[in-house]
Order: sequence, then C-alpha cells, then structure tokens
Amino acid sequence: MKVLTFGWDFPPSRNGGLGVACYGLTRELTQNGVEVIFVLPRRQDVVGNARFVFADQARNVSVREVSSFLQPYHQAESQVHYIESFDADGRPIIKSRTIIEEAHRFAHQASLIAQEETFDIIHAHDWTSYLAGIAAKRASGKPLILHVHATSYDQAASQNVDPGIFKIECEGFAAADKVVTVSQFTKNIIVEKHGVPADKVEVVHNGCDTTEPVRYEPSLSALRSQNKKIVLYHGRITIQKGVDYFIKAARRVIDVDPDVVFVISGWGDMTNQIINQVGEMGLSKHVIFAGALWEEERDRMYQTADLVVMPSVSEPFGLVPLEAMQHGTPSLISRQSGAAEVLTHVLKVDFWDIDQMANKILSALRYPVMRQQMVNEGKRELQKMSWHDAATKMFKLYRNLLQYLTS
Amino acid sequence: MLSVCPYFHVHQPYRIKQYRVFDIGNDNEYFNDSSETDLNNRRIVEKVANKSYRPTNKILQELLDNHPGFKFALSFSGTVLDQFEAYAPDVLESFQKLIASGRVEVLADTYHHSLAFFYSVPEFERQVLKHKKRIQELFGVTPRVFRNTELSYRNDLAKWCEDNGYIGIMAEGWDKYLGWRSPNFLYQPPGCNKIKVLLKNYKLSDDVAFRFGNQGWESWPLSAETYTDWIHSHHGGAETINLFMDYETFGEHQWEDTGIFNFLRTLPHLLTARADTTFRTPTETVQSYNTVGEIDVPDILTWADTDRDLTAWTGNDIQRDAIKAIYDMEPKVLQTKNKDLIENWRKLQTSDHFYYMCTKWSEDGDVHAYFSPYQSPYDAYIAFMNALSDLQLRVSHSLTEREARAKERALKKEKLAATLEEVSPATVVPITVEPTLHALLSTWVSGLKKRFRSLLDFFHKK
Repeated sequence: MKVLTFGWDFPPSRNGGLGVACYGLTRELTQNGVEVIFVLPRRQDVVGNARFVFADQARNVSVREVSSFLQPYHQAESQVHYIESFDADGRPIIKSRTIIEEAHRFAHQASLIAQEETFDIIHAHDWTSYLAGIAAKRASGKPLILHVHATSYDQAASQNVDPGIFKIECEGFAAADKVVTVSQFTKNIIVEKHGVPADKVEVVHNGCDTTEPVRYEPSLSALRSQNKKIVLYHGRITIQKGVDYFIKAARRVIDVDPDVVFVISGWGDMTNQIINQVGEMGLSKHVIFAGALWEEERDRMYQTADLVVMPSVSEPFGLVPLEAMQHGTPSLISRQSGAAEVLTHVLKVDFWDIDQMANKILSALRYPVMRQQMVNEGKRELQKMSWHDAATKMFKLYRNLLQYLTS
Repeated sequence: MLSVCPYFHVHQPYRIKQYRVFDIGNDNEYFNDSSETDLNNRRIVEKVANKSYRPTNKILQELLDNHPGFKFALSFSGTVLDQFEAYAPDVLESFQKLIASGRVEVLADTYHHSLAFFYSVPEFERQVLKHKKRIQELFGVTPRVFRNTELSYRNDLAKWCEDNGYIGIMAEGWDKYLGWRSPNFLYQPPGCNKIKVLLKNYKLSDDVAFRFGNQGWESWPLSAETYTDWIHSHHGGAETINLFMDYETFGEHQWEDTGIFNFLRTLPHLLTARADTTFRTPTETVQSYNTVGEIDVPDILTWADTDRDLTAWTGNDIQRDAIKAIYDMEPKVLQTKNKDLIENWRKLQTSDHFYYMCTKWSEDGDVHAYFSPYQSPYDAYIAFMNALSDLQLRVSHSLTEREARAKERALKKEKLAATLEEVSPATVVPITVEPTLHALLSTWVSGLKKRFRSLLDFFHKK
C-alpha cells in the first residue's frame, strides 16, 4: 500500500505537537509495511535529531519538498499577517489571506506531484494541506483522508473564527472520503460547527513514545534551593491556549502560597498581552518568561517543574501532559482537550474555572504523595497509548476505504 | 429443613464537598455541599429515599404483615441514621415500624462505617459502643450479631466479638478460605469456642445485588420462581442460605424498571410454599445450627471486588496516605475532648472516602466510577486532604487553647498561694465562735464536701 501524505511540519523542526504526530504515525505506518511519500511545503531538515532517528525507514519514506512559504500555526505568526481591525476586547483580528494563497500554491504543486507519483490513497494533515489533498484527489481520482489536528474554532478559541479557513475546512470535509480527528472533542466540533455527518468521522487518538527520556540536572537551581515550587506552562502563547486564565489562577495561588514560581515557556501573538497582564496583577516577581524552550532545555524544564499546567480553551489533543508524564512530572489539564479523554492520572479542570484551577495547583503542590502516584500510574497508562495502536487504526481505515472503493 | 437468612445493609456516608485549599482555616463545614451534584448529601438521601427506602420499606412492611414466617436482618451505619433523622424522618419511622414487628433483627456495626478495627482497636470499640447506644435508643433492641464495614473480617475480629459477648459474626463465603466446603453452614473461627460465623452465599446474593438487571447475563431476566428453584435445590446439602446485600439493591442499584420490586414482593411467598423452608434471623440461625468446622481467615476478607480484600480502599498510595493521616490524628483529636472535632474526625473515617480514591480501573474500576460522586480519584483525595488539613489546624488551635487555659489556672493558683504566704500569721485574727455554732458549721461544711466529692466521682465516671 502506498500513501501520498501531505503535511507542513516534520521533526526536527520546532513547531510543536503536529509534526511530532505526523512523525509518530508515519514511522509506525512504514513499519506496518505501508509506503509513505511525505510531501512538505518547504525545504527543511527531516533527520538529524537523535530522538527521532528515521534512517532505518528511509527506504520507505521519500520526503518531497515543495517550494512554498507556508508556516504552520499561522495565527501564531502575527507579523506575517496584517491586522484588519480589533474586536470588542481589543484583540487584533488577523487576516490570513496570504496563508490561504500559500495553501493554494501548495495545492497547485500537489496536483503536479499527484500526476508524477503512483499511490493508492491520499492522506492530508491539517487545514494547510486540505487544498493540496483535494487537488491530488482531483488529479488522481484516489480516495482522500483528511486528518484534523486542529480547527479554526480551536485556534480562535471560538471567537472571530477565520471565515477563509472555515471555508477551506468545509470544502475539504465535503470532498474527503473520510475525516480523521485526534479526539472525540474535535469530532464534536466538526460535526456541530461544520455539519460533517458523524459517521464520516473517525477518531484516532494521538499516541506517545514511551522510551525513558534522558535525565538532566534540574534547572532553576537558585529557586529550588529557596524551596520554591515550580509550575510550568509550555506551549504557544495564543488565545487558544488559555494562558490568560493560567495567570489569573496564578494570582489566586500566590495569595495563598507566595513560594510558587510560574514558568512560561513559549511564544506567540499574545505574549505582550500576557506580559502586561502579569505586571498588572502584580505577579512579576512570581512569573518567569523563559522564551520558547526546545529539546534539552525543554526536557530539563519538564523535569525541574513540580507541576505542568495545560489550561487550553480548546485543545484538539495536547501532547504536553504526555511529555511531562514521561519526564516524571504530573499535569493539570483543561477538560476542553482531547488528552482529557484518554488520560486518567492527571488533574482536570474547566479552563474558565480559575478557582478550581488554583485549588488544584495548590493541592498538587501540597501533596507530594499524589504527584508521585499520578506519575507512577500515569506512566503505566502511557504504555497503552502507543503510536503503534494509532497507526494500526489508521491502517485499517486505509484498507476499508480501498475495499469499499474497489468493490 | 432449609432456612434462608436475608440481611440488608443500609448506609450513606457524609460525602465531602469540593473543599478547597482556600477553605482551610476558613470553613469548618466539610459535608454541607448544596450544589446539584452527588456531593450534596441531603439531595442524595432524598433521592435514594424516593427510589429505594420508601418503596422498599413499604413492600417489606406488607410482607411482614402478610407472611408471619417472613424474617430478615438489617444493619445501619450511624451516619445513615443521622441523615435520615435530618433529611427524611419518615424513612426512619418506617424502619422503626419494621423493627417493632419483632421479626427484623438489627446487627452490630461501627457507627461511622469505618475500617477502624484494622487501624485502632480502641477507636473501633468506641464506635461500636456509640452505635449500640444509638440502636438501643432508636429501635429499643440490642444487637447480638456483628458485621463489620464492607463485611471486612479477620480471625482477630471474630475473637474480639466473642470476647465482647456477640454470638455471631458475618463474613464473605469466599472460596479462598472455604476451599471445597460450602458457605451454607455455620463455622467456627480459630481460637474461639462460642461465636459462630455466618457466611454469605455470594453466588445467590450477587445474582440479585449485582446481576439482576444485567441484560447481558445468561439468566436475565431472573424470575422469583427460578430464584426459588435455585434456593430449593440446596435442600439436603445445606442448612442456611445467607443472602447478604446492600439494602440499596432495591430501587437504587437495581432500578425499579428491572422488576426488582416485584421480585422482592413475590419471593417470600414462593420460598415458603415448600413446607420445609423457613426464614430465620441471624440470631435464630446461630441458635439453630452447630458449626461444622473451622474457618481460618488470617488476612482481611471483604465482600468487595474480585479480590475480596481491602485493595479497593487501601490499594494505592493516596488511599494509604489518607488513611494513615486520619488515624495518626487520633491521640491529639481525643485530647481536645471537643465533641465537634471528634465527630468531624470520625465522619472522615467513613470507608467511602477512601473508596472514591480507588484507581483500580479494571472491571471492578467501573463499579468504583459508578459509585463515586467525584470526577476523579484525585479530586476525592484533594477534598479529603484539604478538609483533614483544616481539622488538623482546628485540633492544634484547640489544644493550644486548652494549654493556655491550663497555664492560666496554674498561674492563678500560684498567685493565690503567694498572696496567702504574704499574709503573715501574726496578722491573722483568730475567730472565736460559739461552740454550738462551730459544731453546726463544721457538719454543714463536711456535708457539702461529701456532696461535692460524689459529684466529682460522677463526672469522672462519665
């Protein structure tokens, strides 16, 4: 079986969970004997990171780069867009017409590639590739699977949903033979908001690599020596991620326990707003902006933290709590996430419930026995969430689709 | 001759509200949730009263009225009796009426539905005594047969019961300890010579308690006729069929639409249709039969899960941490002699709190999830530990206050002694009194002293 796959991001590029998901799934599919042609919009390294060695499968995967300026997480890169106006809350309304042009360009290339290559099925990851997927389907007549890692509703936290992206999503879902979402949470969104028939949508939860990570010397030793407790946020600083709720909860926490330090690792179009919010709430002493941490620095921070918080307003899946668990740190995560569907040994909270968010942060810090148990049992739970299982599900989906079309 | 011994356990805990870290030191009400969730104790008692207690008691009363041979036993936790009194007094009255028939036996138990026996025997004894008094006060009867929380049992518990005058004790009829032997006879615990053990026939009990409404079960739907046949088939090879289950089986665990009420309504008549089948209370059962052998249970046995041990309550680290924390408080809490603090501490000992923290997510785990009012075991632990932290704070305040008061008293005494010393003997003017008046005064004073002493004794005894 040969699959023409479109994506925009692949390790070792530093873009977050989506590349990681594409990598994990592709690696396991190739091990199932599936031949994957992975099309990326632009030239980038795809090997070279020791954690994601790909060399042994290289014969099965050929990475094709298409000349394009596509940037994933488009709304995070506000400097490449223009601000059309501001909403009632003073947040900029960002237009992404440029990105849409890029997506069209990608689609044009995709059509050519589809004519050059031979394959059985098309698999397009996330909205920037949907048009490419549709184009490839038109050019080849092969069945199309769209893989939803996020929706316009997530990225906009349901406010000011980008009509251009929404339109592409709707067109894509209509043209696709099957739509795959990374969670029931996301399935519900596209069924409700985009009107996709529920039986057209399959949920394939993301997996997780369960190799024991390298242990590092903890960072922030000065703080640790003062017995400060460390609560980490790791992710983009955008409206989708709920960092503003996290800061409000931080205020409640500090009122009770001033010996807590909040570390924010990440960057995004809300960074300035969050820095201002921290200042206004008198939290400058308690919040550290670490910039976007990657690889060893990120892992070290995961290992240093006492608790990791993922306060997302709308999170299709959310790999952060899984990564934290592997590094031996428990998490408090928003119930508005796909990860909350599959993880038992994490604390959960509704993102808007500042009071409970603060209560659970304080409780986790007070009770080390609970933190330890969450990690011990959580790690066992991770063993059951492998990419292998996700790929097996995906493989069955491919097969069913081909059977259905040929019979 | 075959006798059937039904026993229903009635219990509701005081569930802890979502007690937050911010509440520690600010809110000493742990059990007063008023939300629309299952943490609201009043709401639960009212709900279960409508679904189970009221309709079931009505049927049981009818059965007692219409079948002179119908008998059964009940056990109550003190926490459910207190909640009936506060939230559903009519339910309590209907139980009183059932028991007044003389054909409903009430069993001994711990007041707070706790696992105290395994952590602190003195505390266990206090709770059993408190329970006994409450049962006497409400129902006018004195329990003679003992059952422990979650039917937990061990050799030394049986010994304790024998030493304290109980004639019978209940336990799970579990194969691990029975081997090839049948649960349908009475057994003797090792080292005991009077007390008899009544073993639950878990197959027949759980057919009703767990499987009755399960449409995937091969025997679904179970009719009272079939069930009667199953019981009657034991004739000749059994003396007593002990059917032990939660009272809430009727209407709450098995909903009305499963047909459970009709089942209950028709079963006694069908069972006693055969002349050589009778109902017996636990006490009658113990008095009717001799033991057929010894049952040796060196480790804790319960009626829960497929493991039949305490792992549903103490199987993981947070459960062990919480249960240790509560029993570690014992000496200090008791030192306060503060009724309110001691009562709060005991309410926190109720086994349900630890059950909600269970993380055995196997088939059993689903049962735990169903019975937990919390969204996760960690939420249960957080609420518990935060409430416990507040209680610890109150206990230490109370002890500091007591100490301060004691110091103050000591200081006053010292001062008094010092002033008395300051007054030199020379300045004391001898008082001369008429002899008769003196005699009168001294008898009056000694009389007073006597009365004061007996009063003191009285309080000491209390």
